[in-house]
Amino acid sequence: MNVWDIVILQPMINILIVLSNFLFNNFGLTIIALTIIIRFILLPLTNRQLRATKALSTLQPKMQELQKKYGKDKQKLAQEQMQLYKTSGINPVGCAVPMLIQFPIWIALYQAIILSLAVSPEALLNLSRYFYSWATPFVELPLNNYFLGLNLAAPNVIIALLVGTTMWIQQKMVNPQNQDPRMAQQSMLMLWMMPIMFTFFSFSFPSGLALYWVISNIFSIAAQYYVTGWGGLSFGGGGPKDRESARDKKLKKRLYVEGAKRDESDGKTDSKEDSK
Amino acid sequence: MNLKRKNRLLVKISILVAVLLVTVLVFTGCIRGMTPIGWSGVTISDSTLYAGSKEGRLVSVNLAASPQMISFAEPLRAAPTGGIGCASSGGGGACGGAPPAVAIYGTPVISENLVYLAGYNGKIFAYNANNLQQRWVFPVEGNLAPIVSGIAVAEDTLYFGGTDGKVYALDTESPERRWEFTTGGEIWATPVVSNGTVFVSSFDKKVYALDAATGDLKWEFATEATNVATPLVADGIVYVGSLDRNIYALNENDGSLVWSFSGGNWFWSQPVIHNGIVFAPCLDSWVYGLDARTGERRIEYNVEGQVSSSPVVVNDQLIVATRNGRLLSLSTSPASPGQLLIANIVDEVTAPLGVSNDVVYVNAPDNNIYAYNVATGARFSPISLGSQ
Repeated sequence: MNVWDIVILQPMINILIVLSNFLFNNFGLTIIALTIIIRFILLPLTNRQLRATKALSTLQPKMQELQKKYGKDKQKLAQEQMQLYKTSGINPVGCAVPMLIQFPIWIALYQAIILSLAVSPEALLNLSRYFYSWATPFVELPLNNYFLGLNLAAPNVIIALLVGTTMWIQQKMVNPQNQDPRMAQQSMLMLWMMPIMFTFFSFSFPSGLALYWVISNIFSIAAQYYVTGWGGLSFGGGGPKDRESARDKKLKKRLYVEGAKRDESDGKTDSKEDSK
Repeated sequence: MNLKRKNRLLVKISILVAVLLVTVLVFTGCIRGMTPIGWSGVTISDSTLYAGSKEGRLVSVNLAASPQMISFAEPLRAAPTGGIGCASSGGGGACGGAPPAVAIYGTPVISENLVYLAGYNGKIFAYNANNLQQRWVFPVEGNLAPIVSGIAVAEDTLYFGGTDGKVYALDTESPERRWEFTTGGEIWATPVVSNGTVFVSSFDKKVYALDAATGDLKWEFATEATNVATPLVADGIVYVGSLDRNIYALNENDGSLVWSFSGGNWFWSQPVIHNGIVFAPCLDSWVYGLDARTGERRIEYNVEGQVSSSPVVVNDQLIVATRNGRLLSLSTSPASPGQLLIANIVDEVTAPLGVSNDVVYVNAPDNNIYAYNVATGARFSPISLGSQ
């Protein structure tokens, strides 16, 4: 076994199997439980990522204003944009770092589920390499792969469609309204492409894995709603009704004050130039 | 770069990252072992070797001819399945949608000039041993659940177990179904017939003894976990390994426990017996030599690799193949223990070993058969089971 197997995968597999022992030897329940547990553990990172994304979208109107004002002066525009990021305390790549940290854990859970499902005789044999010396993993296998009428080791159309649907909802919530038309077009591509791809792959993979994706997406939807509300999925007549945290309110106020100061300063500069 | 172009670039990067993410997920999910490949052993009769190939067909090799003559039966056809990728369960498949090959797990069995073979597509085949023409197939229409078990033939009856949990008894000629017995779990172990009784172990944590003629239950023994190992019957005792990390010795007549022995991992393969010692390979990388009557440990070897393939005895040497490709010769005498590395084979060995005239045959996952003369140390050229 390599380092990845020993440090990440082996613990994950043993936890899955032991958890199954406490959940009536039901692998479906185990997948749901462990996905939720891991998502909760990673929640601080997820929240940070969501807030960073939301903060970036908050800046959009200000960015558009700067674009209108300094569109012809690229140097000035770049300066003002950097100033805006600095003032607002937002890192434009702030949403990427939490995602990168979470990525290996998702991969490990994903691989652990695939391995534990033991969809072939070779797969069951391979599992024997990963056990710790506890008695539980040895006697629990093979796991009960049937859950709510689903054979978790085989693909399932309904759950594959659920993967796509939940993913679409999550993407829709992330996409802001009132975008530039060209941006909206590209966001639309993103909105449909990922769900379609994951649905397609869910038709090929064991439904246990698709179940993991569905639960993970539902958790993401809940986390997204807590941070940003329904976002782009809002069905209201007006814009999205965001859930504003105290932090968001503080940021908005600071941006407003800074903007007002800048406008005042530009106004004085313009009148000086006019008088010349 | 203005804001709009920057944002468009960010979206394009996001799309690229998304595609990359999905691709990585797909390929990291295509973990080795997801696709059924098979671990058929070899059978030798009258200088002809028979084996199931990784292409999903029966192959015969005339060992006496020079050059060797290799014949191929028609490939087995996969059962209809809904999966198109790694989760294909109808008899084979490969990640990415490669042409399906039906996995063959059981070793071919020869009786009365017929070769019998079980396929993962849920069918049993009988071929003419001379020309590999198909004589019959069971069932004629449709497919049973995938078959991992091998076949046992006794007199004019053929026995096998299915992943539907049933033990089947067929007439070897017709193939009319004589009886079937339902257990509570899948059956991967090959049934063993001795003194009019069929012994088989099941996923339902039980070992069964059935009347060979009628299928009536004689006795059952409960273990603590799933069973996949083929039992061994010798001198009135049934030896069977379990996934509860124990190997059991049971009275052949009533199933009462004679002794049990605990290892460090699953007992996956069929043990062998030689000179009153039962040699039980274990997935904890040890081969245990236990007194056949008492279960007392007489000798043991750390072979530095999991052993899932059934060993063979040649000239008082126990020949064992490990999952990391080591082929070893172990002394069966507790008075003079010792082990010798015969060869490092290309890939892990899971298939049971075959032996004939001091030559050990290994059906490796690379679709080659490796042969070694244990007495002289000679290595033969690998025999390719590929049809092209």
